[in-house]
Amino acid sequence: MAFLLALPAVCAAETLQIEGSTTVGPIADAFAEYFMRSNPDLEITVKKTGSGDGAAALMDNRCDIATMSRFMKDKEFKGAVEKGIFPVAHVVAMDGVCIIVHPSNPVKELTTEQIRDIYMGKITNWSQLGGPDMAIVAISRDTSSGTYETFHEKVMNKEDMAGNVEYVNSNPQAHARVKTTMGAIGYVGLGFVDINVRALKIDDIQPTRQTISSGTYPVARPLFMFTNGYPKLGSTVYKFCTFHLSERGQEIIEAKGFVPVTAY
Amino acid sequence: MRTIIRGILNNVFTAVAGTSVVCLCMVLVAVLGPMIWRGGSAVFFKGTVEFRKMQLALFGRGNEAKIEAEQKRPEDARRFVYDAIEKFKGGIDTEALSDKARQIYRQFGSELRQTDMPGEEVAELRSITRDIRKRLEIAFASQNRDEINKALTYVNSFRDDSRFKNSSAEGLFQLAEEYATAIQGINLAERNEYRKELAEVEQILTRLLGPAPATPTPALMMDRFGATRWDQAQKLLNRLVWHEQWAQQEPNEPMVKMRTPRSQRFAGTELEGLFDIIEQQLPEMLAPKLTFYWRYFIDDSTPGHYFGGVGPEILGTLLLTVLAMLFVVPFGVISAAYLVECASDNLAVRTIRMCINTLAGVPSIVFGMFGLAFFVLFFLPIFGVPSKGCILAASLTLAVLTLPVMIRASEEAIRAVPQTYKEASLALGASGFRTFVTVTLPAALPGILTGVILSLSRVAGETAPVLFTGAVALGPMPKSIFDPTRTLSYGSYDMAVGDRLAAMVPHNQFGMVVTLVGLILCLNTLAIILRFRVSKKLAGQ
Amino acid sequence: MGQGSVNDALMPAAESHRPLALTPTEDIRGFLAFHLGRTFLFVITCTSVLAVFLIFLFVIKEAFPFLTEFSIVEFLTSAEWYPESENPRYGVLALLTGSAYVTIVALVFSVPVGVLAAVFLSDIVGLRIRSVVKPIVEILAAIPSVAYGFFAVMVLAPWMQTKLGFSTGTNALNASLVLAVMALPTIISVSEDSLSAVGRELREASYGLGATRFETIFKVLIPAAHSGIIAAVVLGMMRAIGETMVVWMASGNATQIPSPWWDLSQSVRTMTATIAGDMGETEKGSPHYRALFAVGMLLLIMTFCLNLVSEYFLTRAKRAGGKS
Repeated sequence: MAFLLALPAVCAAETLQIEGSTTVGPIADAFAEYFMRSNPDLEITVKKTGSGDGAAALMDNRCDIATMSRFMKDKEFKGAVEKGIFPVAHVVAMDGVCIIVHPSNPVKELTTEQIRDIYMGKITNWSQLGGPDMAIVAISRDTSSGTYETFHEKVMNKEDMAGNVEYVNSNPQAHARVKTTMGAIGYVGLGFVDINVRALKIDDIQPTRQTISSGTYPVARPLFMFTNGYPKLGSTVYKFCTFHLSERGQEIIEAKGFVPVTAY
Repeated sequence: MRTIIRGILNNVFTAVAGTSVVCLCMVLVAVLGPMIWRGGSAVFFKGTVEFRKMQLALFGRGNEAKIEAEQKRPEDARRFVYDAIEKFKGGIDTEALSDKARQIYRQFGSELRQTDMPGEEVAELRSITRDIRKRLEIAFASQNRDEINKALTYVNSFRDDSRFKNSSAEGLFQLAEEYATAIQGINLAERNEYRKELAEVEQILTRLLGPAPATPTPALMMDRFGATRWDQAQKLLNRLVWHEQWAQQEPNEPMVKMRTPRSQRFAGTELEGLFDIIEQQLPEMLAPKLTFYWRYFIDDSTPGHYFGGVGPEILGTLLLTVLAMLFVVPFGVISAAYLVECASDNLAVRTIRMCINTLAGVPSIVFGMFGLAFFVLFFLPIFGVPSKGCILAASLTLAVLTLPVMIRASEEAIRAVPQTYKEASLALGASGFRTFVTVTLPAALPGILTGVILSLSRVAGETAPVLFTGAVALGPMPKSIFDPTRTLSYGSYDMAVGDRLAAMVPHNQFGMVVTLVGLILCLNTLAIILRFRVSKKLAGQ
Repeated sequence: MGQGSVNDALMPAAESHRPLALTPTEDIRGFLAFHLGRTFLFVITCTSVLAVFLIFLFVIKEAFPFLTEFSIVEFLTSAEWYPESENPRYGVLALLTGSAYVTIVALVFSVPVGVLAAVFLSDIVGLRIRSVVKPIVEILAAIPSVAYGFFAVMVLAPWMQTKLGFSTGTNALNASLVLAVMALPTIISVSEDSLSAVGRELREASYGLGATRFETIFKVLIPAAHSGIIAAVVLGMMRAIGETMVVWMASGNATQIPSPWWDLSQSVRTMTATIAGDMGETEKGSPHYRALFAVGMLLLIMTFCLNLVSEYFLTRAKRAGGKS
């Protein structure tokens, strides 16, 4: 138990602290697992609580890499610079925010306006959209999520959501809610779409690798890793932030369901 | 009211009261039952050969030679399946062909980089090769024979180019040739359907049996092994043998799941009989055996708890609770001693008692906020430690949370010591302090211990106070008290709602909660037994 | 006690060269030791006072800037909680009603069952069954809240969706039911204590007059123990209001006042769940952060008042029953 009282100053292993988005989280987890396996001396901690938290942690210098599913807001950027942190963005992968419904729901596509109306409470039953007579249960991510920001900006046009929208704290939770609730509609990153939910076409465009990387899909977005300044060449942070450019990294990104930045 | 009615009312009331207690018992069973049943399967289950392989790879457990030997029979059984699929894939799996073409292209590219040809020549060669590759991909993907022939002709026009001789680019031409022969006898129109179906089948097979023999090792650990548990394998088998689709039965109604046997979808091909064989041979292929995975409580886990156990969580919970107890027991016992021995009923003492009661009533989340605002943001920086969540902050928060419980339990224990003990000691001339330390305290000790154990069990289950003061869902083992840690309580929450992979491993989800509840119930039972013995002992005097 | 049992180290007083009673000036060391010792104990005991003081201080300190900047009236009466939108609004009415909903419905379920069970345990069954049921109640009390939340999300919610046909399984009813189960042990044990504290004479007098057990319990015992039972209910209410994990996982977290107001199958959000859900991600020091502390302050004040009420009723019960 003596180690309990040891101060953190003496530490043989190298540590890497990563905080931020639950969307980018699986990528960071997988990278971390890979790095830690090839380098047992390395300790990587990944915290997934939301893009906003990642930005805050980077600003307080509490983490080495902030994973975010949106770009830093103006005030986050300014706040960071004021504290002497100069955030540099690395685009790790491309993602699309997919609108998902329960697989038994016959509705296959919606327009952006219809989705906005659902989340603003104007459309409350699937029968109004050509589906069965079921109440719509709208699921949203909490407000510090990058996924929420993207959705809010590109689909909601920055309007407020209705009061009866259910809030969940993470992508997996949103996925689980839609998977188990027949009348549910929610939005998750592309990596969370599997056979248990169905992704809808938006404005007649299906979210696939091609439509996302070409930008045709209306709710496509890059996924970022932010560091304090450009990491020193050859350092662990550098290797982590450029891993997505290697074949292995892209394999992992694809395995997680995201779109690699290059067509390797 | 007439007597009979009163009598009936009386009996009805007894029955109603009885049902309320029966309700209680049913609720207990309803809450604990599913948990124990499904969580228990994290420790007792039928493990397959993949499980033993995984244990060896991740934890170095088990005899390597024995596992190698054990793998022989499953491998033989599986070979048939892989061979059948390979044969079928020959003309169909154009994805693999495209991948191979890309691989060759990349190889050629790196070869070129290593020669000392001038830059423009390299660029030209690469652009030609890229063209060839693209045409090959078109040929692979197309269903129109004319289009295919056109593309192949273009490719073959470069065959005799001297710059490609003796380089890996020749592989491209080989691919073109093989492909031309392979598609001779294949119905190109249905090819797409078979390809999609086959891709799905292969995906499920990879989940079931692990990566196919000739493929490169996947990057992620969870993809390297097949189904490690027999129940998992059964589920996958079900998905393999039955094809499920959502179909619209009636208009304006939700769709329903329709199941068709997958062998029907491959009717007329060599793969039709494969699925029955897989179903029959699965025990051979996976060699399931009853496993008692007691190391579940010691092992670390892979990210997402896909493999492995809850060792770090248990350690984290123990660290937090023991440290919290270390802080709270002295304060609690001394306060109780003061309140029993020295306190008179003046304003100060009444205020103290009121404060203890207030503390007992504060919601746990407010303790969490206090812990964040005070311990993390104010207290830690005083010592020059970065203000982030850590074991120290979390255990201090838990200590404050449990202070009233400790004080009350100690007070009760000290008061329960018969006055005669104290009077006898004083009569012998010992001072008040000495009496307390040598007589009262030892007699009250078992009762205080009971209080400690009850506090421990309460603290172990608390999640809200540690949410922002020291718990993380994923992270390395803490090296000092200034690091955050994983705990059973926060881990259970994370597995229930937060984790992406958790739904794939329900036994781990429930396993963590059951470990927590089991730990707490054990502690409580211990406290009850102790309390029983203490009361017997003290009453007997 | 005879000579033989006297400890050798303790000499009979007459032979000791030290008088039994000393004045302070003669025994300064003893005097100082005694009083310093007492003061030390007193100071240590005051840590609980210090803790309460610090809790109130820090929570109010963080919440204060928010309260001066935004109107308190709007805070308490507006149902629009949009802290991170372009036009931030911090109205906790929906949160207050959410907490009130789940608490009141939980009490509706748990008070009848709890009081009936307490009555059953104290008056209807003998020692044997009591010694079986009491551990069950203790186990229910010991199960951690995250386990109850787990049950609510993984078992109860799907059941509500499939068997009861609710459109969403995480709703007010789900959270209320589980909170009721969590409040039950408190209500049962405190009620049972106060029922047992009612003297035998009351019971015997009632039976002597020919009342049935039902009538005795309802017309004599419960009124006699009413302070204790009210205290039990208030304590159960405190438990329900302050509970975080269960409501965070099971209530759906929709910031709305259900319409129609009696529709429990709709999702609600409580104060505790808001704090738990938002705190980890808000920037420290931002208005949102301070608003959360304001909500925490509300919670603190509410539970403090409930505590005072329960204390009042408990002292009344003690006075009436004569048992400490």
